[in-house]
Amino acid sequence: MIQQRKGSMTAKQCVWGGLLIVGSLLLYGCSTPQPPQDLLAPSDAQLKLRSIQTRTFDVKDRNAALRGVIASLQDLGFIIERANEPLGLVTAARFAEPNYYDVISVTVTVRQDTKDRLTIRANAIYNNKPIDDPKVYQNFFASLERSLFLTKE
Amino acid sequence: MPTTPRNSKRTGACLISLVLLTGCVTHTEPAELFQLTTETSKHRAMQTRFFETPNEKELLSASAAVLQDLGFQVEESVREVGFLRATKERSAREYGQYIQRVLFLVLSLGKLLSPVDLHQKIAAGLITRPLNQAATRQEIRIVFYRIVWKGDGQTDRQYIPPGQQHMEMIRDPEIYQQFFAKLSKAVFLEAHTI
Repeated sequence: MIQQRKGSMTAKQCVWGGLLIVGSLLLYGCSTPQPPQDLLAPSDAQLKLRSIQTRTFDVKDRNAALRGVIASLQDLGFIIERANEPLGLVTAARFAEPNYYDVISVTVTVRQDTKDRLTIRANAIYNNKPIDDPKVYQNFFASLERSLFLTKE
Repeated sequence: MPTTPRNSKRTGACLISLVLLTGCVTHTEPAELFQLTTETSKHRAMQTRFFETPNEKELLSASAAVLQDLGFQVEESVREVGFLRATKERSAREYGQYIQRVLFLVLSLGKLLSPVDLHQKIAAGLITRPLNQAATRQEIRIVFYRIVWKGDGQTDRQYIPPGQQHMEMIRDPEIYQQFFAKLSKAVFLEAHTI
């Protein structure tokens, strides 16, 4: 008797398990397949990335802003590789410490929009792969804001 | 023996957690690398000095001269943002590494011939910046780092070709102190720590 009951229990479990698998499969079918990235207008993703990478600041002095960018990059442990004042361009890189094999490069451009407004855009690359994680840029701009605020004082 | 499977389980768990831990150590999320850490202010203090002078250009050219005195070649300079980048290439051979190499060779019964550091490129990035509106006080921040190239070696039957690279930031306070001591002598001004 007991053995029989045990057997029926496992059969029940089997049925439940099967239902679960089928259900999850059905659910999986419900989620619409992602359209290929290049099919959807690429400008949409670009636009989103651009808005993540760009901030505007109410700063008049472009040179001071550029120096602020450099200072904040140095604070973050970046090595400044290139700078171009007329174009408002800074290129920097750092290792993904504690390992010294992965490299992160950043290019920052500072452009004057109006007389007392300027746009700062940052592009970051992790080992030749572009970074599109918004958190990275949020962190960068947070430390940049601190640096700009300090230089203003 | 009922304890052995439990023991093996435990060691297994330990091993897995160890593997996970090492995974954590070697890989850093990019978002973390864009955050200021507790080390930030320490490095900043070590790498930065300020001078009571309105003449930024003079300070920059004196820095270039000091770097030249130290054997560096200036590779890039942008006066408008007070930027200098200089490098020097030197031998990276050390006796200790050769002793270690021989020791490894003997210990591994002639199977492991570890590569030694042969050549290095020491680089410096320097930034000057006015600290106040009137620009009577200038800040200088310098960062030293180096790239090392290794020679060839051999493990068992596999040949390790030369030219393996590794890089590191130089975080020895003495090097920075030496640089700033030389600079303050060159501009006849005292270098203040921040």
